[in-house]
Amino acid sequence: MISTVLDSKTIKKLYKRMVSIVGPENVHRQETDKVLNAHDAWPLSEAKLRAGEMLPLADLLVFPSSREEVAAVLVAANELEIPVTPVGGGAGTCGGTLPIYGGIQLDLKRMCEIYEIDDQSMTIRAQAGVVGIDLEEHANRHGYTLGHTPTSLRASNLGGFIATRSGGSMSSLYGKIEDLTLGLEVVLPDGSITKCKAAPRQSVGPDLRQLFIGSEGTLGVITEATLRLFPLPEERRFRSFTFPNVHSGLEAIRNIFRIGITPSIARLYDPEDAAMSFSMHFEFEEGHCMLLLGFDGDKVRVDFDERKSVDICAKLGGTDLGEGPSKRWWEHRYDMYYPTRLTTSGYAIGDTIDIVATYDKLERVYDSMKKAMEADDAIVMSHFSHMYQNGGSIYMIFFTSQPSAETAWATYKKIWDDGVAACLREGGTMSHQHGVGLSRSTYTEDELGSLFPVLKKIKEVLDPKGIMNPGKLGLGVRK
Amino acid sequence: MTFDETLAEQIRLCAACPKMCRHVCPTFFAWRSDSPTPHGRALLIHQDLVGTRKIDDRGIEVLYQCLECSHCLTWCKPEVDIASIVEQKRKELVAEGRRPGGLTEMAQAIKECHNPFSEPHESRNNWLSANGKKKGKSLLYFVGCTSSYREKEIAANTVDLLESLGYRVLVAGGSQGEWCCGSPLFRTGDVELGMELAQHNTEMLNRMNAEEIIVTCPGCFRSLSKDYPANGLMINKRVRHISQLLNEIKESLPVFDFEEKITYHDPCHLGRHSKIYDEPRNVINRVSGSKLVEMERTRENAMCCGNGAGLRTLFPEHAKKIGSERVRQAQSTGASILVTSCPFCKNMLGSQAENSLTVLDLPEFVLMAMRGRKLKTH
Repeated sequence: MISTVLDSKTIKKLYKRMVSIVGPENVHRQETDKVLNAHDAWPLSEAKLRAGEMLPLADLLVFPSSREEVAAVLVAANELEIPVTPVGGGAGTCGGTLPIYGGIQLDLKRMCEIYEIDDQSMTIRAQAGVVGIDLEEHANRHGYTLGHTPTSLRASNLGGFIATRSGGSMSSLYGKIEDLTLGLEVVLPDGSITKCKAAPRQSVGPDLRQLFIGSEGTLGVITEATLRLFPLPEERRFRSFTFPNVHSGLEAIRNIFRIGITPSIARLYDPEDAAMSFSMHFEFEEGHCMLLLGFDGDKVRVDFDERKSVDICAKLGGTDLGEGPSKRWWEHRYDMYYPTRLTTSGYAIGDTIDIVATYDKLERVYDSMKKAMEADDAIVMSHFSHMYQNGGSIYMIFFTSQPSAETAWATYKKIWDDGVAACLREGGTMSHQHGVGLSRSTYTEDELGSLFPVLKKIKEVLDPKGIMNPGKLGLGVRK
Repeated sequence: MTFDETLAEQIRLCAACPKMCRHVCPTFFAWRSDSPTPHGRALLIHQDLVGTRKIDDRGIEVLYQCLECSHCLTWCKPEVDIASIVEQKRKELVAEGRRPGGLTEMAQAIKECHNPFSEPHESRNNWLSANGKKKGKSLLYFVGCTSSYREKEIAANTVDLLESLGYRVLVAGGSQGEWCCGSPLFRTGDVELGMELAQHNTEMLNRMNAEEIIVTCPGCFRSLSKDYPANGLMINKRVRHISQLLNEIKESLPVFDFEEKITYHDPCHLGRHSKIYDEPRNVINRVSGSKLVEMERTRENAMCCGNGAGLRTLFPEHAKKIGSERVRQAQSTGASILVTSCPFCKNMLGSQAENSLTVLDLPEFVLMAMRGRKLKTH
C-alpha cells in the first residue's frame, strides 16, 4: 500500500533520489512552490483558494526534461511506493492534478520541444509539455492547423490534452484529441518506456494507444505524441440562426450532419444561454435559441455546405441572423474563460458538466439535467456544442452563490450529484472532453458499469502498487 | 495591509484565473513553473491578504522573479495590472527590510555612487568629448546609468547625432549633475531612496538652462515623466524620448540603404508603459528607406528582453535565457539588424546575440545612416 503521509526521513531520501535524477534546481520542496503549483483550473479549487482555504499539497515537485528522467522518477517512486501525480499545463477543470495523497507532482512543463513537421504525412511530433498555443502557432507558421482549439489553449499542454481526451471547439470537423493522436510515447509505472507507432490505421489487436488516451495519469506518464495536421483552411465562414426552441435547433443540426455536411462549428445555445451570451449584442426574439455555424475549407466546399445548411435551417423555422453572432463568438471565444467580479465574489461558484449523448437521448438528458440542477437552486444555462453525425455534447453550465463556504461546497456537490445522476438515468455519458479527475471520480463506477472492473484490472496489472495519480478516475480511492 | 478593496478584488480575479496570460510571461518561459507567473504572484498576495498564509522567503523570491514588463496585461480581459500590484507589494517588503540581499547591495551602490554599477560618480561622463557644439536649440541630454557606464558608445553617438542635427547638447556633470533616475529602485520597491534621487534630479534639471530634456533610456523616461510627477515632483521642461524627437524631424533625417533586413524590439518601458510604438518605427522606416520586418510578438505583445526590474541582478542566467529567446525571435524574421530604443535592452540583446545579429540602439542606427557607413553584419 502506498503511504498517504510521508515522514520526514522518507521525504529526505526521496529528495536526494530526485535530485540525483533531475538536478537540484528541478526539485522543489518549499511550501510556496507546492502551493503555487498545486491546483489546476477546477472551479472548486479556485473557489476554495479565493475563500482562503489550503488545497492538498505534494511533498515534492519534480520537473523532468526527458523520457529517461521520467522513467527514473517512476522507478524510484515505485520502489519507495510514493504517489505520483503527473501535471501538464495545470488547466484541467476536474482537479485531475491535485496531489490528494501527497507524494510527487511530476510536472512536464520543461519537456516542451517541438520536433519536425512531416509535410508528406501531415504530422507533427512534440514533447508532452509544450503549451497548446505554442504548438498551434508553430503549425500555423508552416501553413497547418491542429484543428484543436479548446478554450484553455493558452494554458493547457499536449500531455494534458491526451491524458484527458480533450476536445476543441471545432471537434465536429477536425475531431477530438483521440482522433488527432497518431503516435504516443508513455512511460509506465515501472519505468519502462513504451511507444505506439504513428500509423493512420492499424489492425494489430486492440488499439492500445487509446488505452492511454484519457488515462489521466493513472496508467503512466505521456511524454511525447505525434499528431495529425490539416492545411489551414482557405476560408472560414460563419452563419447564425435563431430557433423558437431547443428541439427545432437540434433538428437543424441533426439534419445538416445527416446529409453529410460537417460544419467546423455547430453550437446551439438554449434560451437562457442565448440571452446571456448574445442579447447584449444582437436583436432576436426573447426565449429563442441561437445556432452558430462555421464552415472551413475551400470556397467551393464552403459555398456548398453553407447553402445546404441555410436551406435546412430555413425549412425548420430558423431565422437567419447572418454571420454576426457566430463570428462574434469566434472572435471572443476565450473571453468567457476569464474570471469576473460576479463569478469570484463571496462564495460564488459555477462549473460546467460537459455530457454527451446520441441524438435519440440528447433532449431528454438536457431536460432532466436542467430540472435536477435547478431543483438545487442553481442557475443553469446550456449550449449544445461539439456536434457529430450521431449526437453531441451539452455544456450544462451552472452557477450558485451561497452565504458560507460550507453551504457553497455542499450545494456545489449536490448540483453535480443530481446533474450527473440525471444524465446517467437518461442514458447520457458524463463527460465529453473535460475528463474525470477528482470532480467526477466517484461517478466513474456508475458511468462505466460492467466495464469498471475491467479498468480496475488493467490498473492493477500496470500499476500494482497504485502509485499513479491515486484517487482519480475512480481508481485508488482511499477512505 | 496596503491594498484597498478594489485592488483586493483585482488580486482575487488574477488568483482565480485559469492562467490566460501565462503563455507570454517571460519568467514562465525562463522557469517553466507556475511559481514565477502572474497567477502565482497574485495567489501569493491574495493568500497573504486574506490570511491563508504569510509570504515566506521563497514567496519574496517569487515576487522578485517578475520583470514588471506588463506583458500579462495585454492578454488580460479584466485588465488586472498585476505588475503594478507586485511593485506595490515590493514597497511593503522593502519597508519591512525583507528585500532580497542582491537588491539591497544595488540600492547601497546607488546611494553611494549614484549608479547601480558601483562605478565612481566622477567617471559618469568620461565618454563625453570636450568639443561640444555651442549653438543651436539647447537640449539637456539625460544620459542614464547604462549609457554612462556600460554602453558609452550610445551616449557618445547620441550627442554626435543631435549635434549633427543642429542641436546644442548639454549634459549635467559634476557631483551635483545627473544621478541615477531611480528606475531600478522604483521598480523594486525602494521608493524612499528613489525619491531622494528624484528630488536631486528634479532640482538639477529645473536649474539647467535648456529648452527641453531628451532621454534615450525608457527606464529614465518613465521615471522622469511618470514616477516623478506621481510622487509630486514636477520638471519644468518638456521631457521626450529621443524617438519622439527624431520622429518629429524625420523628414530631415538621412536615408541610407542598409542592404539588410531590419527588425525592431519594443522596450517595455517605452511601449507598454509609455505607449510609444510608432515613433521609433517611423524613424527606422524613414532612415532605411524600407519597411522594417516585424517580429511575431511585437508592440503591445512584444516579449521583454529579460533585463528589467532587478531580474538580471538576482537571476542572471534566467534573465539571459529570456534575452536569448528574444534574439531568436528577431532572427526568425530573417533580419540581420535588430534595432531597439533602449540602452538597457541593447545591452541584454547585444550580449545574447553575440555574432548572429547586429544590435543597435536607435540613435546609433540613425547616426550610421547619417555617416553612410555600411554595417559589419554577420
